[in-house]
Amino acid sequence: MNLKKEIRVSTLFVSLVVSVMTILLLPIFLDFDLTSNSLGSTLLTLNKNQTSSANVVTSVVTYFRGFDTLGEVTILFLSIFGIGLGLDGYKDKLNIFAYENELLKIAVDVLFPLIILFGFYIIIHGHLSPGGGFQGGVIIASAFLLMFLAKGDSFELNHKIISLAEALSGAGFILLGVLGLILADRFFGNFLPLGSVSNLFSGGVIPLIYIFVGIKVSAEITALVEYFIRIKDVG
Amino acid sequence: MIGLIVLAIFITLIILAVLIIENNDLPHSVILFMGFGLGSVILYFIFSAPDVALTEAVIGTGVSGVVFLVTLLQIRSKEIKR
Repeated sequence: MNLKKEIRVSTLFVSLVVSVMTILLLPIFLDFDLTSNSLGSTLLTLNKNQTSSANVVTSVVTYFRGFDTLGEVTILFLSIFGIGLGLDGYKDKLNIFAYENELLKIAVDVLFPLIILFGFYIIIHGHLSPGGGFQGGVIIASAFLLMFLAKGDSFELNHKIISLAEALSGAGFILLGVLGLILADRFFGNFLPLGSVSNLFSGGVIPLIYIFVGIKVSAEITALVEYFIRIKDVG
Repeated sequence: MIGLIVLAIFITLIILAVLIIENNDLPHSVILFMGFGLGSVILYFIFSAPDVALTEAVIGTGVSGVVFLVTLLQIRSKEIKR
């Protein structure tokens, strides 16, 4: 009778580490405090003085750390570019994800403009409520995804408009940064009147930057979804 | 009280992560991955980060899951055709 079973050393090590970390983290969970902010209060005062944006996260992303957002947008653009190179073109390809359903086909005509409108709402109100350019852009792309799902091959994207929107919004984004460098103190500096807090027309350049980011991200993610959703018909 | 909720969601997420890795059926695993995203959305919202929660809701449970499913379908249709 052999009761010995082989246990790998890595499994043993991982379970040991996880149990020790759980025991160490347990006191943190039990007296969890929602109001522990050390850097947050500093940023709140800075935000109150320099921008008039109601959403502090937005002003950090676009105003205090605008250069990082430029890097993120560049990384997204390069990854979509690489996918486009790898999955060579879109001609002679069939939509494999289409699902023939009458209910979906009728409902998508109502839902498509509503989802686009919701995406633009999220983009434009980025400095007032949670959300912003990136989230709203992906919501707009998800509307196009629904269109691909419902209409199948009868839905074709106009690639000229998509590439034009992508290029123009990217150029406008960098142009805003350069204008901030010339007219204000630094790259992505504010050169527009600030307005009063929690108005739609407030926050200086923040809404403009987020509109450009939103159009760019929506064009890129829509192109990404189309690259993945179409396949060459082998048979 | 809220700490216990957070702890419960954390344990659920760990169980979901183990299920995602150990699952042999890949589409099933993708659906579980989208459930993992949903749990982390609740977690981000409790930790007072609604912006990150919105991003995770759109990217983690929406677009990335669909892209994974589509890629699996592409691989399978090529395998059937051969």
